Amino acid sequence: MVRESLETLKDEFLSRIAEGASEEEVERLRIEYLGRKGKLTFLFRGFKELPPEERPELGEALNRLRQFVEDRLEFRLGELKQREKERILKAERVDITLPGSRWERGRIHPLTLVMDEIIDVFLTMGFEIARGPDIEDDYHNFEALNMPPDHPARDMQDTFFVSQDRLLRTHTSPVQIRVMEQRRPPLQIIAPGAVFRHDDDATHSPMFHQVEGFMVDSHIAFSDLKGVLTHFLRQVLRPETGVRFRPSFFPFTEPSAEIDIQCLLCEGGGSTSEGQPCRVCKGTGWLEILGAGMIDPEVFRFVGYNPDQVSGFAFGMGVERIAMLKYGIEDIRLFFQNDLRFLRQFS
Amino acid sequence: MKFTFSWLREFVDVKKSPQETAYALTMAGLEVESLASLGGQEDWVMEVAVTPNRGDCLGILGLAREVAALTGGRLKLPPVLPHVKGSGMERLVDVQIRSPSLCPRYSARMVLGVRVADSPDWMRVRLEVCGIRAINNVVDVTNYVMLETGQPLHAFDADRLATKRIVVREAGGIAKLVTLDGTERELASGDLLICDGDVPIALAGVMGGKDSEVQWDTHTVLLEGAHFDPACVRRTAKRLAIHSEASHRFERGVDPEGTLYALDRAVFLLAEAAGGVPVKGMVDRYPRRVKATPIVLREKRVSGLLGIELSRREAERLLKSLGMQVQSRSKIGARVVPPSYRRDLTREADLIEELARLHGYEKIPSTLPWVRPVGAGYDFRLQRERKVRAFLLGEGLTEMINLPFTSVELNRRFYGLWGDRGAAVSILNPLAQDKTELRLSLIPGLLENLRANLAQKARSFYAFDLGKVFCLNAQRSAEEKQYLAALLCGARGHRGLRLKEELAPNLRDAKGLVEGILEVLGIEAQPTWSGVGVGSFLHPGKAAVFGFGEREMGCLGEVHPDLCEELGLAPFLVVELDFEGLVQYAPRRLAARPLPRFPSVERDLAVVVDGTFPAQRIVSWIKELNHSLIEDVQVFDEYRGSPIPEGKKSLAYTISYRAEDRTLTDAEVNQLHHELAARIGDVFRAKLRG
Repeated sequence: MVRESLETLKDEFLSRIAEGASEEEVERLRIEYLGRKGKLTFLFRGFKELPPEERPELGEALNRLRQFVEDRLEFRLGELKQREKERILKAERVDITLPGSRWERGRIHPLTLVMDEIIDVFLTMGFEIARGPDIEDDYHNFEALNMPPDHPARDMQDTFFVSQDRLLRTHTSPVQIRVMEQRRPPLQIIAPGAVFRHDDDATHSPMFHQVEGFMVDSHIAFSDLKGVLTHFLRQVLRPETGVRFRPSFFPFTEPSAEIDIQCLLCEGGGSTSEGQPCRVCKGTGWLEILGAGMIDPEVFRFVGYNPDQVSGFAFGMGVERIAMLKYGIEDIRLFFQNDLRFLRQFS
Repeated sequence: MKFTFSWLREFVDVKKSPQETAYALTMAGLEVESLASLGGQEDWVMEVAVTPNRGDCLGILGLAREVAALTGGRLKLPPVLPHVKGSGMERLVDVQIRSPSLCPRYSARMVLGVRVADSPDWMRVRLEVCGIRAINNVVDVTNYVMLETGQPLHAFDADRLATKRIVVREAGGIAKLVTLDGTERELASGDLLICDGDVPIALAGVMGGKDSEVQWDTHTVLLEGAHFDPACVRRTAKRLAIHSEASHRFERGVDPEGTLYALDRAVFLLAEAAGGVPVKGMVDRYPRRVKATPIVLREKRVSGLLGIELSRREAERLLKSLGMQVQSRSKIGARVVPPSYRRDLTREADLIEELARLHGYEKIPSTLPWVRPVGAGYDFRLQRERKVRAFLLGEGLTEMINLPFTSVELNRRFYGLWGDRGAAVSILNPLAQDKTELRLSLIPGLLENLRANLAQKARSFYAFDLGKVFCLNAQRSAEEKQYLAALLCGARGHRGLRLKEELAPNLRDAKGLVEGILEVLGIEAQPTWSGVGVGSFLHPGKAAVFGFGEREMGCLGEVHPDLCEELGLAPFLVVELDFEGLVQYAPRRLAARPLPRFPSVERDLAVVVDGTFPAQRIVSWIKELNHSLIEDVQVFDEYRGSPIPEGKKSLAYTISYRAEDRTLTDAEVNQLHHELAARIGDVFRAKLRG
């Protein structure tokens, strides 16, 4: 009889707990079954009235049922808590398509970016950095570079003067002289910096930037100049860039070379896909990018080196020009207008 | 130098196509800048960028010599009308060279019965294609021959010469000459003149005179073919800002042996184009024969400098193809004499360049030299610059690069950190009247950037410039320094949903920027801040200068309300630092400290002080105590308003206590803190709060 009522109670409990949909309902069920006036408690009370021989068996059954009820209540409670947590998490879901939140970053000027790239290639090749003044004297800017006062090569560099003898350097080459005046070979130097020419249009700015470089030792040959500069250009541009060296003239180098790279736009073909001449290289397929040469013996004499004992090469490049080619910029003045809409493109 | 392919072929049997010829010239250092077909005439116009050392290539003859050397074609010379022996010329004109060093050679011929008219079409077309305006047959012939030979010629109307006594001399006392462009030229004593007796008739090698110019009624032409000193021509041309075809060539070196051929060629063409009859004989004064000196060319030097082995035979072949004589050979090398038209070849290095050029740069291999590293790879200054740039960009500032030219007015208002130590550096030949000086400060540049960007509807503007500024010091010599300036305007840009509240930056944001820079540079020294001596463009109450000891390192502040009003802008902030100076304070090495072993304890302290009391005074005072248990002091709040009485403010500090060898007890810290607070109350007559 009691056993039957236990079974009924269990079935009833199971169906009740399945219906219990909230933590409160489960709590109410606990009281209803296990509380002081609960249904199970009531059975426990009736236990004492049973004949002694029935007690152990029934007692065990009763304990099992209580344990079962407790476990199920616990389990159900856990289930409900979990479900509630999931409900809350689901309700808390945000719109991931909304934009992220961050402070605006600044930008490094594109000329600095390109300058840094150039510098880093040379630093890894064992070059060091030297600096010189922007306001130079005639001697370092021209004369010691084998450009005496009436030399027509001075026409290539229109000059800003600040006094009879002082000027804004027209190239970074005077740093060569200043370093060699102070030190003896071996030297592997680059000299980055601003230079100034009396010129102002879409392709010329009165100020622009150069990186000068030179290497002087007992054994440096023209073939080394070719090797070092080819390596440099392939690092800064593309590894497969075509490079060509052709003779040119600079008063401070002999032999002198102009170095061209294959046009970055038409890739050396010289024309567009429609058969028009390429506007970047003007149809030649090549772009001038570097001037270089073996340091002229006259320059070595000016700094007190014996040209029979040392040799070296020097080179110079325009940072704006490289930046313009690299990024496809057509007007040099954009670099100095500092329009945020332009600068923000270089992240 | 512009010329046509057909014309070139009159001087050399070109074996290659125009394109191949152009490529060969380019790869030999005579860069062909353009090659264009001349519509319908089966001819081509070529333009060569002749470098300043190659005066010989400013004539077709010189280019033909190059083409012959490069492609093996045979050279030939177009026909001439040489003079017939006789004394006619000597009787008609006398030539006297008074400055033989400036005029080593003066040759002349004369043509009678010239009918001045337009040139024949073929000559006009050629000249015009080559960029020279046709004028009349006589002038055109001189230009035509100049294009052919590179030798400038001048034609005088001989009937307009009063004395026919040609004197080549320096201007000395002669003051003026009207040149054929109608301009009256002021002469300098060193200018070389061609005179008719005492009357100047031409600026030697630069431009002829108006009075002796060939005109439509000219009958008798005196043709001058002379050689002038390059530097002398250049000085005169430069000073008078005349850049003529003649001066361009003389400056770059003309063949001193070429005068007679050019004159004979011109006479031939004058006879053909203007019906002239040459006078018998000619004048050729050549007081200073320009001689080429032999150059020793060492084989070792060739291989050492170029990195290739050229056989002796190959080297000689190349040199001879350029018209050089190889005089004698020894084990060391050879004695080489360059031709008269190659005045640029005077040294061994010049010959080596010729060898490299003809051999072909392309055929020289690319090698990497072995390097002896000398302290390379790391540049302290560069790395500091990069760190600071990276910091600033994280703070939202964009880098600007500005030109250093500015106006007198801007320099007067924004004088950087030079104080009254110096004046601005002036440009003697500025590009514009508002760009006559070099900047003393980077701020005007940033103000201009601000203005331009706001005009482009930028909502805010955060920028910096790491650039050079210039100043004349007390000794009137120019100094230059690398400064860093920053400008903060408007609420800092934010990406994402719109912020509920946008805060414009204030003075402490600018100061935070400076503190950040010092931190990035690793500078531990505390700068001293002062509100005294700030620039007049700054708000007197919201600006400061700072430095180390006596040395001023920078300034910052809100711009003066007057400046805001002038610019039509809300208040904004600027910072300017002597970056180069700051880097000197940056340590070369960093040393790490071990972590503390015992915890610190923090206690706050609030005091009511006078409204003008500087918060830093209490920090400094505590630090100067050098108390072994006080680790740090920071101000964390400034408050004015109720319940603090009017004219007073409350300052709150947090003090952290730590012992190196034990954990401090609460009781110990409380006592320390209590004593400290009481002393601060006494020393600063401040009321303790809370």
